[in-house]
Amino acid sequence: MVINQTEQKESMVKKGWWLILLIIIFIFAPAFLSEFYLTVLCEALVMSLFALSFNLLFGYMGQLSFGQAAFYGLGGYTVAMLIMKAHFNFWLSIIAGVLVAGIIGLIVGFFCVRLRGIYFAVLTLAFGQLIFSVVFKWHNFTGGDDGIQGVFPPEFLKSPIAYYYFILIVFLLSAFVLWKIIHSPFGQTIISMRENSERTEFLGINIAKYQLITFVIAAAFAGLAGAIWVPFYRSVAPSYLTWIKSGEPVMAAILGGPSLFYGPVLGMFIMTFFHSWVLGFTIYWPVVMGALILVVIFFLPGGILGFIQEKVNQRRERLNQLVEK
Amino acid sequence: MFLQTQGITKEFGKLRAVNNVTLEIKKGDIHAIIGPNGAGKSTYFNLVTGYHRATSGKVLFRDKEITNLPAYSRCNLGITRSFQITSIYPKLTVYESVLMGLLSHRKVTLNFFSSAKKYFREEVWRILKDVGLTDQANTLGDSISHGDKKRLELAITLGTEPELLCLDEPTCGMSPEETDVAMSLIKKFSEERGLTILFTEHDMSVVFGIAKRISVLHQGTLIADGTPQEVRASEEVQKVYLGGTA
Repeated sequence: MVINQTEQKESMVKKGWWLILLIIIFIFAPAFLSEFYLTVLCEALVMSLFALSFNLLFGYMGQLSFGQAAFYGLGGYTVAMLIMKAHFNFWLSIIAGVLVAGIIGLIVGFFCVRLRGIYFAVLTLAFGQLIFSVVFKWHNFTGGDDGIQGVFPPEFLKSPIAYYYFILIVFLLSAFVLWKIIHSPFGQTIISMRENSERTEFLGINIAKYQLITFVIAAAFAGLAGAIWVPFYRSVAPSYLTWIKSGEPVMAAILGGPSLFYGPVLGMFIMTFFHSWVLGFTIYWPVVMGALILVVIFFLPGGILGFIQEKVNQRRERLNQLVEK
Repeated sequence: MFLQTQGITKEFGKLRAVNNVTLEIKKGDIHAIIGPNGAGKSTYFNLVTGYHRATSGKVLFRDKEITNLPAYSRCNLGITRSFQITSIYPKLTVYESVLMGLLSHRKVTLNFFSSAKKYFREEVWRILKDVGLTDQANTLGDSISHGDKKRLELAITLGTEPELLCLDEPTCGMSPEETDVAMSLIKKFSEERGLTILFTEHDMSVVFGIAKRISVLHQGTLIADGTPQEVRASEEVQKVYLGGTA
């Protein structure tokens, strides 16, 4: 048994070597990235957290949410308003951002989780736009289309490098928590619901309840992503809550591969870096992005990471067959 | 009283699919519901398991009224079912599928941070061994044979450790050999685990080979209920099955 456990740990290290390598690269990234690309990296990490929260619903529970940006924006607005208007403590503001997103997620989710498929998607879209409209029109309270500017983090987080490490830590911890949730009995339950909700209900699972819990978790993590982004960007605007923003994690998941945990992260990294690079020579970014999505949907239906995984598995099988021979 | 339906009726528009059926299922029995196509067997099943709500009448389980309980609550009380069209998890492994039943029944599905794979290993392997799917534990649900899928569904339902197992056409689409295996499995579970089994079936040799009690539905109405001998001797049943209805 002891030997067995050590073997298991060794195989985990073998499987996770690329992850360890990536984390090391992230830790040393500020040493070799220009400030511009460090900013892009920060955005990629925050948006990846946003995409991971979305993929809990899409990739794991099997429901497409088209209003996830509302929670991202709510997290951001809560932080901005608390810091600017109420002169709240930075850390408490971040926590409040998560809470507000989670509570609104509970209210919106209460209505949405009764539906599935396209109806779920449309209702999340409707609620998302509703929340956007409130933020956009309520000028006295939210600043309307001006948004809120001048949101600063505490002194020691003001440099991009310091804030980068803050984002990195939040991202890694959140990704770890989400990873744990997906592999827990709760995660197994929502995956089963995705695979066959009728069978799962007839095993004694209250589908709506589990959908609601997942919805709230996803909303809270989206809120966290928005909450840590705003003090870095120093401002928040209503565009954070629009359906266009909600579409970004959808595209990232499809691009990277929704069935793999890190798929949406890869998708978001490609989108964010590609975006800042393409903007250097054309303003027609949506055309480029559209073409990229088309290529992936037609040629790599499991997403880029899904494709890589498939090739790795095939190679492993061939090697195993050779060894057996 | 284990399971009882009292004057249960289900109407779909003008069609009365199940008409005033009063029936008792005794604990430990293997109880078959038979009848020609469209007799209301599946609808009756759906009323017991919570797939449909009754238009009128009552369903009682262990003297508790469950007529309006949702399906998942009935499952938590100990009523689990299989479906006529095999309902499994195509993209989960056989092992994970069986585990799901156990996770749900043992109420650990609100556990967020421990690894699901650590739970109930012994129980899953025991169920897999019982139904003969040990070798396919790591195969995906949709890549096993039809007969194995039926067995997998049985294994998944066993994970919920039911008291009443409702099987809708458990041998539907199986070869004669597979049918024999499946039936002897069902008999074994009834004997070893004290499971009560309610099943519908169109194959009469299967029904008379295994059922301790048989109820016959015809056009939604219960026309006979008794031991296999009694049912075989019933004139009305003979009329229905030998085409006397024309």
